[in-house]
Amino acid sequence: MGESSQTWLLLSYKVPRAPSANRVYVWRKLKRLGATALADSVWVLPLTRQTREQFRWLASEIEEMGGETTLWESKLLDGAPDKLVSEIAAVAETVYRDILKSLRKKSPDVAALSRRYQEALALDYFGSAMAAKVRSALLAAKGEDD
Amino acid sequence: MKWATWENVGVDRMACAWLIRKYIDQKAEFIFVPEGQTTFPKGVEPFDVPGARLSHHGGHCSFYAVVREYKLKDPLLKRIARIIDEADTVQEAHVEPAAAGLDIICSGLRLISSDDQEAIERGIIIYDALYAALAK
Repeated sequence: MGESSQTWLLLSYKVPRAPSANRVYVWRKLKRLGATALADSVWVLPLTRQTREQFRWLASEIEEMGGETTLWESKLLDGAPDKLVSEIAAVAETVYRDILKSLRKKSPDVAALSRRYQEALALDYFGSAMAAKVRSALLAAKGEDD
Repeated sequence: MKWATWENVGVDRMACAWLIRKYIDQKAEFIFVPEGQTTFPKGVEPFDVPGARLSHHGGHCSFYAVVREYKLKDPLLKRIARIIDEADTVQEAHVEPAAAGLDIICSGLRLISSDDQEAIERGIIIYDALYAALAK
């Protein structure tokens, strides 16, 4: 596969060693955004208005901690862009699969599963086909049609 | 006074504009600059611009920063700040169900407005409504 049209957003950063809580804080935020680490302290997300905004804010928080950041917009020239797509798509899809599994059990906690669905949806950057399936399954579990 | 922010306003910047108009500067004039601009002429107060005083700090939204910087005491503003934190920033806990809906309504409001100025004016109605509902 040659040049891909997908634009990626890269955040590279350095956080001072102490206090170590800051490093954990940044890591947790990146995970919550559904970002993937390309290397130590280089994280990637597909470019959207939201991801650009969130990375920008995170960068300014890191700078407030006395750290350094560089924010990049980039395109893959070669290699395997599909691999990166599936790695990031897997974040939401893992949750979707988990929800579908839980729904097959006896008396699932539909309210809690619905909340997990919403959280996964927020980082479903490539619009997984599973999202619609999970939505229907959640509604069906409550005896409603979509 | 002149208050500046980046173009294409959303949930946080509409809320800040409402807050500034209602609590800080009734004659506030809002100006919109291209995304990425971080330096401003003297006498212009930037908000929701990375690095600015009235911006995201410590994981909180810009609305939160305005409430804190101007020492606004109305307890409902804290509640609205929490709603916007959840709508606009990455949070672990979700305790405000209005957050997700507010975010999507505000981005839609920008889409149906001819420019940022109009979006801000319409946004003020949304936040008046939110405030009234919370005050009930």
